[in-house]
Amino acid sequence: MWWKILIFAAMSAVIIAAFMTPSPMNPAISLGDADVYRIFYFHVPQAWVAALAFVLSMIFSIKFLKTRDMQYDTKAVLAAKLGLVFAVLATVTGSIFAKMTWGEFWNWAEIREVSIFILLIIYGAYFALRSALPNAETKATLSAVLSILFAVSAVFLIFILPRLYADFSQHPSDSVVDREGQITMGATVAAIFFSSLAVFTALFAWIYNVSLRIAKAYDKNLPEN
Amino acid sequence: MLKLEIDKLAKWFGQRKIFEDINLTLEIGQSAAIIGPNGSGKTTLLRLIMGLSYPTRGEVIFSEDGKKLDFDGYRKRMALVSPYLSLYDALTGFENLRFFAKVDGRAVSNDEMNEVLEKVGLGGRGEDFVGAYSTGMKQRLKYAVALLKDPAIFLVDEPSANLDESGRNIVRGIIRAKKKDSLLILATNEKEEYELAGQFCQLGG
Amino acid sequence: MNLPGSSVSWAAKVLAVTRKDITAEFRTRYAINSILMFALVTLTVISMALGLMTPDSDLMAALFWVILFFAAMSGLAQVFIKEEEAGTALILKLSTEGLVIFFGKLIFNLLLLTVLSVLIVPLFIILLKVTPQNWAVFLIGLVLGDIGLAGATTIIAAIVAKATVKGALFTVLSFPILLPLLMAVIDITKVAFGGGNFGDISTGLQLLVAYDVVMVTVSVMLFDFVWRQ
Repeated sequence: MWWKILIFAAMSAVIIAAFMTPSPMNPAISLGDADVYRIFYFHVPQAWVAALAFVLSMIFSIKFLKTRDMQYDTKAVLAAKLGLVFAVLATVTGSIFAKMTWGEFWNWAEIREVSIFILLIIYGAYFALRSALPNAETKATLSAVLSILFAVSAVFLIFILPRLYADFSQHPSDSVVDREGQITMGATVAAIFFSSLAVFTALFAWIYNVSLRIAKAYDKNLPEN
Repeated sequence: MLKLEIDKLAKWFGQRKIFEDINLTLEIGQSAAIIGPNGSGKTTLLRLIMGLSYPTRGEVIFSEDGKKLDFDGYRKRMALVSPYLSLYDALTGFENLRFFAKVDGRAVSNDEMNEVLEKVGLGGRGEDFVGAYSTGMKQRLKYAVALLKDPAIFLVDEPSANLDESGRNIVRGIIRAKKKDSLLILATNEKEEYELAGQFCQLGG
Repeated sequence: MNLPGSSVSWAAKVLAVTRKDITAEFRTRYAINSILMFALVTLTVISMALGLMTPDSDLMAALFWVILFFAAMSGLAQVFIKEEEAGTALILKLSTEGLVIFFGKLIFNLLLLTVLSVLIVPLFIILLKVTPQNWAVFLIGLVLGDIGLAGATTIIAAIVAKATVKGALFTVLSFPILLPLLMAVIDITKVAFGGGNFGDISTGLQLLVAYDVVMVTVSVMLFDFVWRQ
């Protein structure tokens, strides 16, 4: 109960801080309207959670294959469903930002846009497979295998994409981390950003836990448990 | 000594119970019949025994001299005849026999293949494409493939499916012979067939 | 009772599977027709759409792999789908080790892709008026790319064979898996068309080889889970 309140309060604080403090934009290198850059406080954590959810789902998939315990399948799907929601959010907020600053909703040369899109496709493919398999056992096993295969492929993409897009990125990462890898965010910006990251992660964990409890209550009716 | 132990086996598909508390122990030279009306789970039980499906509760264990066998361990000694099993229509009878033996690591001679074809009443039909066989002939060829493997574990689902009188006689002969030197399991509704078995496993319906 | 040990080697078992698939394919031509016609049609459409334009060699490199990718998607899943649909998957599972089937069918798919490549390359050159400036680079990219295509999608084909909506699903599932391969191999082919040399593609090659090895290895580790379902 108090988690709900805590997260609500923290999120409110983050939102207020995001709009009340000076914009995180670094005017020396970025274009456009400063206020638009505030989306950074929300967009990046969303993408982070989307990726985290994917990794979590994959870990559950591996556990399922090892133990054949259906509870891991339930957890894997749950993580994936939430991950998909956050991936959509990240893509949308990213797209809005792109339109407001660079003038286009979408640009294939932008590595991060491509990355989040691929994550979206991976989630989509995962659910497409699941819905095409009627048998619960088969569904769990095959989607677990797929999850792992996607993870391996994603690792390769992490290596390959930067090579191909090395100098193209228009992502305003220089406001956050400069070319030497030093964090260049100001103290306030950093405080809000990392709080937002924590809040979004907590939000994910909270929704996940509640959904899991619901799923378990439903499963209790099944004799398998 | 090869042994099969089925212990408190239960299978549910989601909310639907197929069966529960199935217990059975079999050794070489012993046979069991799984009896029950259509839809009672005979084929499901066979799949669990073969390891192509996982139990909801309980276990199925194949062991040899006390040591548990894994899937590839007992698969090598096991053959199945079933209406759900198909052979390659695009290949001839001989090609099917030769392929399933070769892929299992056994080289077979023409004589061996002819012999087993004669045994199931398909003598002289080895050169024909299986696609041209009647359903009865296909059923007989399934027995031929199984016999060529000389399995220690012989599973038969609906032994006489698609067979005429002479086919049924042949099958009965095969079952009687295999009863003695293998671990035999039949899934059937036919009295003349399950009578041949030593133990029974009744599935509700 | 049963003969101890095999009188047939593992490699012979694998090749028995491949030969069986080739024999059946010869007699029915399910997969090869589909793949060839698809590639031909795609090539024709692209050629006509380009008309008198002569796009740069980079675009051509990308188009080449677009054709191969979609042709592969139209036919590589057949190896497993036809077993499930004909009902022969069951006896296959009981007759041999899963990996024998995996490698047997992987080799078959690779042969399919080789035939496709051999036929498509000359047509591509003629219709689109592009020639690789550096054949060695082009061929090595083609070979490794084909190995990757077959290697990474064999397990996906096995997965899709058990699903209800097979055709489109195979493409949907394969795309994220093949993306690294496509990116790496298009890069190499660009160099081949543009007239670069091996120095330009060394990292790309390393990546490609790593991809081929890793994807096949992971597939081998996971295959039995899929096959025995």
